[in-house]
Amino acid sequence: MSVAFKAVQWNRDKLIYDAVLVAGVAIYIAGFAAVAWRWHPPKNLPDVLDIWLRAFGTAAFLMLTVILCIGPLARLDCRFLKLLYNRRHFGVLTFFVAATHVGLMIEWFAVQGLLHTLPADFTTWENYGKFIGFPFKTLGVAALAIMLTMAATSHDFWLGFLKPPVWKALHMAVYAAYGLVVMHVALGIMQYEHTPLIPLMLIGSLGAVATLHLMAGWREWDADHGRAAAADGWLLVGPPNAIPDKGARIVTASGGERIAVFRDGDQIGALTNLCAHQNGPLGEGRIIDGCVTCPWHGYQYRLADGCAPPPFIERLVTYRVRWNQGVIEVDPHPLPPGTPASITCPRTGA
Amino acid sequence: MSTVLLAALALYVAAGVVTGAAFVTVGAARFAHHMTFTLPARLVLFPGAALLWPYVLYRWRRARSDEP
Repeated sequence: MSVAFKAVQWNRDKLIYDAVLVAGVAIYIAGFAAVAWRWHPPKNLPDVLDIWLRAFGTAAFLMLTVILCIGPLARLDCRFLKLLYNRRHFGVLTFFVAATHVGLMIEWFAVQGLLHTLPADFTTWENYGKFIGFPFKTLGVAALAIMLTMAATSHDFWLGFLKPPVWKALHMAVYAAYGLVVMHVALGIMQYEHTPLIPLMLIGSLGAVATLHLMAGWREWDADHGRAAAADGWLLVGPPNAIPDKGARIVTASGGERIAVFRDGDQIGALTNLCAHQNGPLGEGRIIDGCVTCPWHGYQYRLADGCAPPPFIERLVTYRVRWNQGVIEVDPHPLPPGTPASITCPRTGA
Repeated sequence: MSTVLLAALALYVAAGVVTGAAFVTVGAARFAHHMTFTLPARLVLFPGAALLWPYVLYRWRRARSDEP
């Protein structure tokens, strides 16, 4: 949220996040290399490169796994929202770790004088029909290409240039990248690896990603289908004190549109649950300095009319709310972006 | 076969470098009229512009032709 595009919009929280992230990755890679060195002492330079290659490769795989777990974890437990806040930097760092893995692989071929054979690994077409012997490096390179595209378009400028639906679709390709990496590791293990640790890492990671997505999906489906509506179609939100102060309760209209109903003391207002920046879940955010603040990147909007405070120009769709016999209800029909629609509630009891 | 693929990749990258450099220098501002760009921001935008250069070129040309 700035009138000037900067390379990186750092703040104190993001700096701490990035420092912890980089330290964690460095400790993992150094630890992996130390254990592998002790377990199978390298006999020559290719062996040394092989240790680092695996350290960076497994780090990238685990980082991608954590990235995919953060979204459902944040939906299941709001304490994980802190991890979601700066996930973009996590993704960019994952690309650099994966790129280093590829660089070490090229170096591994180079020090043995085998670099000229590397292109044939990708273009020996008959191997693509095999299961054992499949050119698994191609899968890894395809995953890296997706991660490169995501990292290169992670700046806010690209969101505006590509438009949110295209940008979002492009960045959902992280699931395709993960699938490719899983296949890359699985097929690579079958050809070269005989320790059970990496298969266990693969199965555990895949299981965690799948289970968390199913749990979060089930919870959201349950929430989307349990909302009562009044005779005139207004949706029941609940008594005012059922909405956390400075927080929101999310209700879902029949068309699937999620509405975030916020309370700031006695003021109650409803906005679309989608942030204008990257469609972040506004209803999982808080009211900070009088403004609804997106949990993903801190974009802010006034509760009264859904407008970003000046000099910013973003405006959100708002919804009418009413106080009806002690409970708050919301009209599921959206108002034009920036329309004032909040009310002051007479007795919140909070 | 691999030589042809590598040559095609090199050509794509070369065109991307030229287009990307031109875009972040003079083109990007057309798509963010009310915003300014710091030098580090232009450098950060360069990989995306170089990678997506055919689409960037298409949008840039269209934006120029739409100008009065």
